[in-house]
Amino acid sequence: MKGVPTVLITVSPEVSGQMRPPRALYPKGFKIGNSLGRPGMRDLQKKVMRDALSLLTQNTRPGDYITIEYPEYGEQYEPPRVKKL
Amino acid sequence: MTISRKCVPFTPFERELAKSTIAIVTAGGVHLKDQEPFNIADELGDLSYREIAPDVDSANLMVTHHHYDHADADQDINVVFPIDVLRDLQSEGFIGSLASQHIGYMGYTQQLKAMYEGTAREIANDIDKASRADAVILTGG
Repeated sequence: MKGVPTVLITVSPEVSGQMRPPRALYPKGFKIGNSLGRPGMRDLQKKVMRDALSLLTQNTRPGDYITIEYPEYGEQYEPPRVKKL
Repeated sequence: MTISRKCVPFTPFERELAKSTIAIVTAGGVHLKDQEPFNIADELGDLSYREIAPDVDSANLMVTHHHYDHADADQDINVVFPIDVLRDLQSEGFIGSLASQHIGYMGYTQQLKAMYEGTAREIANDIDKASRADAVILTGG
């Protein structure tokens, strides 16, 4: 296998960041179950998708994630934290 | 859980998005209504996955997953499995095409080794050989 480029859209950046994804987008404040936004918000969903796909062509740091704010999402949520052992 | 010490599996992307084929792989428990649901009764998690065709009617998709609130995905599957979004981006010329196969699995397991060494590799092989994707969008719940 030659390998396939991937981009992760994560709403739990601290948790998924532990696996050091090659490229990742955190739409700030989106709740779990809303990776692309809220139901029916197609313009926002498209914007998130365009931003995620654009990470393929940008100079990102492998293992890190990019945070982008989308005010049109509305009420924001705290992402889950990693429990310290 | 600690930070992974495995090498970051970074694969460069050397194409134009407008000419690229994109696949979706979701851990959000998405599958067709007439496919076998994920086994949420198994406390260890379900290691299987479902293949989804690019021309699927999104109204025929559903979620079986009991580790996140999927009420919003039940209304609009695109919030975790953006298949209609991808079609829109294809129409706009932002991407080239949709891959010939997309994947849904249930992203909860107590069997991490089996997921990492079994299911994940099978999905990657499927994406590589059957899906013919140039790049993959990964989503969770």
